[in-house]
Amino acid sequence: CAKEVIVHGYMIDEVAMAKIRPGSSVEQVLTEMGTPTTTSTVGNKTFYYISQTRERRVQFINPSITDQRVAAVYFNGNFKVERVALYGLKDGEVFDFISRTTPTSGQERSFVRQLFKGLGAGNMNPFGV
Amino acid sequence: CSEGLDKFNPFADEKYKPEKVVDTPPDQLYNDGLARAANGNFVGAAKKFDEVIKIHPHSPYAKQALLMSAYANYEGGAYDDAIGSAKRYVTLYPSDKDAAYAQYLLAMSHYSMAPDVSRDQEQAEKAGQALNDLVTRYPNSEYVKDSKWKIQVIRDQLAGKEMEVGRYYLNRRNYGAAINRFRVVISRYQTTRHVEEALERLVEAYMAMGIVNEAQTAAAVLGHNFPDSQWYQDAHALLTKGGLTPREDKGSWISQAFGKAISLN
Amino acid sequence: QTAAEGYGQHRSASRASERQIVNRVVFEGNKKIQKDVLLGELSTKARDPYSPATVQSDEALLREIYKRGGRGFATVSSRVVPLDNGRVDVVFTIKEGDKTGVKEINFVGNHAYSSTRLRNLMQTTEMNLLSWLKTSDVYDPDKIAQDEDAIRRFYLKHGYADFRIVQSDAAFDDAKGGWVVTIGVEEGQPYRVADVNVESRIPGVSAEDVRKRMKTSAGDVYDADAIEKGMESMTTDVMRRGYPFAQVRPAGVRDSQNNTIGLTYVVEEGPRVYVERINIRGNARTRDYVIRRELDLEEGDAYNKVLVDRAERRLNNLGYFKKVRVTNEPGSQPDRVVLNIDVEDQATGQFSVSGGYSTQDGIIGEVAVSESNFMGRGQYVRLAGQLGQRANGVQLSFTEPYFLGQRLAAGFDIFTKYVDNTKYGNYETRTSGGTIRFGLPITEEFSMQLRYSLYQTNLKVPNTYKKPYNDCSVPLPGYTTVFSPSDPGRGLYLYDGGPGALSYYPNCAYDGEASIAVKESRGNTITSLVGATLTYSTLDNVKDPHSGIFAEVRPEVAGLGGDSKFIRATGEARYYRELFDDVVGILKIQGGHISPIGGKDLRLTDQFFMGPTLVRGFAPSGIGPRDLNGDPATNGIGGTTYFGASVEVQFPIPLVPREIGLKGALFADAGTLYGYKGKRYFDLNNNGVIEGWGAMGCSTAGLPVQPECVNVYDSKSIRSSVGASILWQSPLGPIRFDYAYALSKATGDRTQAFRFSGGGSF
Repeated sequence: CAKEVIVHGYMIDEVAMAKIRPGSSVEQVLTEMGTPTTTSTVGNKTFYYISQTRERRVQFINPSITDQRVAAVYFNGNFKVERVALYGLKDGEVFDFISRTTPTSGQERSFVRQLFKGLGAGNMNPFGV
Repeated sequence: CSEGLDKFNPFADEKYKPEKVVDTPPDQLYNDGLARAANGNFVGAAKKFDEVIKIHPHSPYAKQALLMSAYANYEGGAYDDAIGSAKRYVTLYPSDKDAAYAQYLLAMSHYSMAPDVSRDQEQAEKAGQALNDLVTRYPNSEYVKDSKWKIQVIRDQLAGKEMEVGRYYLNRRNYGAAINRFRVVISRYQTTRHVEEALERLVEAYMAMGIVNEAQTAAAVLGHNFPDSQWYQDAHALLTKGGLTPREDKGSWISQAFGKAISLN
Repeated sequence: QTAAEGYGQHRSASRASERQIVNRVVFEGNKKIQKDVLLGELSTKARDPYSPATVQSDEALLREIYKRGGRGFATVSSRVVPLDNGRVDVVFTIKEGDKTGVKEINFVGNHAYSSTRLRNLMQTTEMNLLSWLKTSDVYDPDKIAQDEDAIRRFYLKHGYADFRIVQSDAAFDDAKGGWVVTIGVEEGQPYRVADVNVESRIPGVSAEDVRKRMKTSAGDVYDADAIEKGMESMTTDVMRRGYPFAQVRPAGVRDSQNNTIGLTYVVEEGPRVYVERINIRGNARTRDYVIRRELDLEEGDAYNKVLVDRAERRLNNLGYFKKVRVTNEPGSQPDRVVLNIDVEDQATGQFSVSGGYSTQDGIIGEVAVSESNFMGRGQYVRLAGQLGQRANGVQLSFTEPYFLGQRLAAGFDIFTKYVDNTKYGNYETRTSGGTIRFGLPITEEFSMQLRYSLYQTNLKVPNTYKKPYNDCSVPLPGYTTVFSPSDPGRGLYLYDGGPGALSYYPNCAYDGEASIAVKESRGNTITSLVGATLTYSTLDNVKDPHSGIFAEVRPEVAGLGGDSKFIRATGEARYYRELFDDVVGILKIQGGHISPIGGKDLRLTDQFFMGPTLVRGFAPSGIGPRDLNGDPATNGIGGTTYFGASVEVQFPIPLVPREIGLKGALFADAGTLYGYKGKRYFDLNNNGVIEGWGAMGCSTAGLPVQPECVNVYDSKSIRSSVGASILWQSPLGPIRFDYAYALSKATGDRTQAFRFSGGGSF
C-alpha cells in the first residue's frame, strides 16, 4: 500500500543552500534559509538546520528514519560564514539512551482517588444512560 | 384543613410564612469557628468564618475571620476557597501584619494542587508567582526563607516538565525538538538539579546526529561544573566509546554563564 | 392587571421608612426555576437596605427570565411585609402560566426545498403534542443561529453556491402564546461543476497524481462539503510525498448563464513557518505524552493547517476531553509559531447498571465498571458481570492503545460464562478462559487483529426430574420406565433404583433426551486457538451508518495443544447506501466453514449452531443438521458450513417527531447450515456393541435401548424469511423488535417469529 513520507524539522531547500558561501553575512543566511532549527550551545556561533525524513508502510509501526541531513553553518569572530558542513544519516551513532531520569515531585494521583474522582463526576446514573 | 394538607403535597407552591431571621452575633460565630478548627473540623470552621464576613461585614471580627477562613479552607483541603479568601485579604489589608501569612496561604494552596510533571504545571507556575510576590512585598517576613526554598522546588518541577518532553522527543529520535527542550533547561533553569541531565542529553543527541564538536563541548561544560556527577560519567563514557575526549571551548557563552552563577559545588 | 396590582401594593409599602433593612427575599409559585437560581439573579439581597426601585427592576428581570425559559405568560408581583424587629420581607409572587416555546418556524423564499425538510435540519422544533416531554421547542437565539448554519451547509452541499440567509427574526406573539421564528432565504441557482482541473506549482508534484484524490468530478452538483474534503485529502497526499508545506487552494469561476462553476485546485507551497513549541495545557488527568503522541506534528516541524485540524479531530475522538482547542500564537522569530493545545479532561469513568430481555438469554442484567483513560495513560479497563435467566458471566478486559510506543493496541480479556442452553439444545456449558489480542491499524480503512485464545468448555447434560435429558442412559427412580434383561418376566416397570435395569426406549426419549453426540461431548474440552480478524471499514458513522462498506474476515486455527483441532474461517460484509433522505438500504452477506485437522473428528461444541443471526425468524440453534433419534427439534448437532444473505431497508417512521428516535425496517433473509462432521456412533455404555448401528447405517427399529448411533438429518435447503422491525433509541439504550415470518425451512428447524432485544447496552 502507499508508502507515507513524513518530513520532520527543517525543509532543506537546495537552491537557497547553494547561495551560502564562506564570507556570506548572517543576515544573508537568515533571509535565504530562515531561522535555524537550533544554534550551538557555545555562544550561538554555529547555525544548525536539522532535517529528518521518515517512511511509514503500515500505521501500527512507527515511521523509520530513512534520511537525516544537518546543515551546519559555522561563523567566524565577526559573524561572517566560515564554512558550511553537511552531516548525513551515516555520520550518526546508534546507541541506547540512558534510561535513568532525575526524580521530580508533585502529587502522583493515587489510584483509588483517581478512579472514583472519575466516577464521581455526575455520571453515577443507574441506567448507564 | 387544606393548609395542613398542603404541608404534605410536595407540588404545592411554597407559601410565604413570615419568619424572622435572627443573626447570631459575630463573636459567637467567630468563636464557634475557632472551636471547630481546634478539633479538626476545618471545613465546618471555614463555613462559620465565612458567615461572619457575610452577615457582619463591618464588624471588627470580619478582618480576622477572613484570614481564618483562608487558613481553615487551606487546612481542610478546599484550596480554591482558600485562594479566594487569601487573595481578598491581601488586597483589602496589604500592609497588615498578617498580610504575609495570607500571601503564604495563597501560594501554598496553589503549591498543594501542583500535579506530577506529566500533567499541566499551571498550578506550580501560579504558586511560584505567589511566592515571588511574597519575597518581594514582604522581604523581612518569617516566610521568606521557606518561600525561597519552595521557589527552587517549583523551578525544579518546571525544569522536570521540560526534561519530560525533551526525553519524549529524544526517544522518538527527533533530535532538533529534543535539543531545543534541553537548551531551555540549561538557559532558564540553570540552578536546578536537571541541568546535569540536560547537558548529558545534549551529548547524546549531538552524538546521535554525528555533530561531535557540540557533543564534546556539552560534555566539557558538564565535567567542568559537575565533575563527580553520574551524568558526567555517562557522557564521558559515551564520548570515549567514540574515541573522543571532552574539549571545552574557553570562550563559550555557557561556561562563562556558569562561572558567574552561584557555584554549586 | 399585574402592573396595577403591583403599583397599588408598591405605593402602600413605600410608607415604610427608606432606611429599613431587608430581612429575607422570598418567592411564591416558582416551580420550573429553583429559588437559589432566581436569588442569584436579583439585586435585592437580604441584609441590604430596602429600595423600592431595585424591587421594581427585579420584577421586570424575573419576567424576562421566565420569558426566555419558555414561560412567556408568567406574571410577577411583589409585596413588602414589615416585621416587628423593624426589618421587612420582600415577597415575589410568580404565576408561571403554561409553556410558551417556539410556536411556528416559517421560511420565506425557499422554493427548492420544502419548509418541513428545512425544519428537519434544525435542532429547534415547533411546539406540538409532545411539548411537555421535550425542551427542543424552547426559544434559544444561539440554537437558532446554529440551525441557520446547518441550513446554509445543507444548501452548499446541494449546489446552491450563492445561498444567503437574508432575514432571521423572532417575535413573541401573545395571541399564539409563543415565539414565531421567520427565516428568509435567498437560494440562488443550483450550480453544477463544469470542469475540474488541478494546477501544481510545486516542482516534482504532477497534477495527475493529485487528481485521483479529488472527491468532485465534472458534471457533479456543486458540493462545498466534498470540495473541502477533496482539498484535505489532496493536501495530505502531497504532504505524504515529502512536501510538508503543501497547501491546496480551490478557485471557482462562476458562469451564471448555464449555472456552472469551473473549479481549479491550485497546489502550492505555503509560507515556510515552523512550529517552535507545542504547549499542552489544562490536562489535569491525561498525561502529556498521551496527547503529544496523537499529533503527527512535532516541535520544529513545518506548520500545516491540515495536520493541526487532524490533530484536533483525533484528540476529540479519544473521548477523554470535554473540550479541545488548538490555537497558535507568534513564536520568537517571524518564521516561528507556537501551538497551544488547551484541553479539558472529562470523567471517563463509567459505572453502569443495565437490564434487558432477549429471547435468547431471557431476562438479563449487567453491572459494568469501565475507565477509558485509566490513570491518565489512555488505557482502557472494563469489568462487567452479567446475571440472567439463561446466562451469566464475568469479564475483565484491558487495552493499552500504544503498546511499546507503537500505534499497536495490545490487550487481554479474561472471562467465565455459564449458558443454560436447555431451551434450545438440552445441555449447559460453562466456558472460562482468556485472550491476548493485538490491534494493528494498517491504513485509515483497513485494520488487523491478531489474537491467541485459551479457554476450557465444560458441557453438562442435566438429568433431573425437571430436565430428564439423560434418563435413557441413567434412569431416574420413580420416573423412567425400565426393564431388566436378566428378569424378562418382570416386563416394564417404574425404576425403583434396583441394579441391572435399562431404560426402555423410546419412552425415555420423549421427555427431550439429549442426542448421543451431545452426551459424548460431555466433560471438559480445552481449546487453544490462534486467530486473526481482518477488517475493512469505510462507514461514515459507526453507531448509525448511512453509507460505506464494512467487511470482516476471521481465520482461526485451533490445535497448538488443547483437545480441539480445526481450521475455521468466518466472514461478513455489509454495504450501506442512503437511498434517499434518511432512508438507508443495507445488503449483508455472511459465511463460515470449519474443518477438522489431524484426522480427529470435530467436537460438537466446535461446530456452528445458527439461528436468528443467520436468518431472522428462526430460534437460536434453530437451523442446521439434527439427530432424528429422539426429539429432533432440540437436538441440533451443528454443521461445518454456513452462508447467508440479507437485504434490509431502514426508514424513519413518518409523523413521529424525530427526537423520539423511532425507526422502522423491512427485511428479507436467506441462508443455510449443513455438513455435520462429528462422529456418528459411540459405544456409550461400552458394552463393545454399537446398538442400532448396522450395514444400513443407524436404525432404531424395535431397539429396546437408546441407539448408540446418530441418525443424522443434514439438508442443504435454503431457509428464508421476510419481516419487519422497529428500532428505538430509547433513553434506556437501543431497543430492537423483529417480527419475521419463515418462508422455507427444513425438517426439525425451529422458528421463532418474535425477537426482542434491548434495554441497556450489552
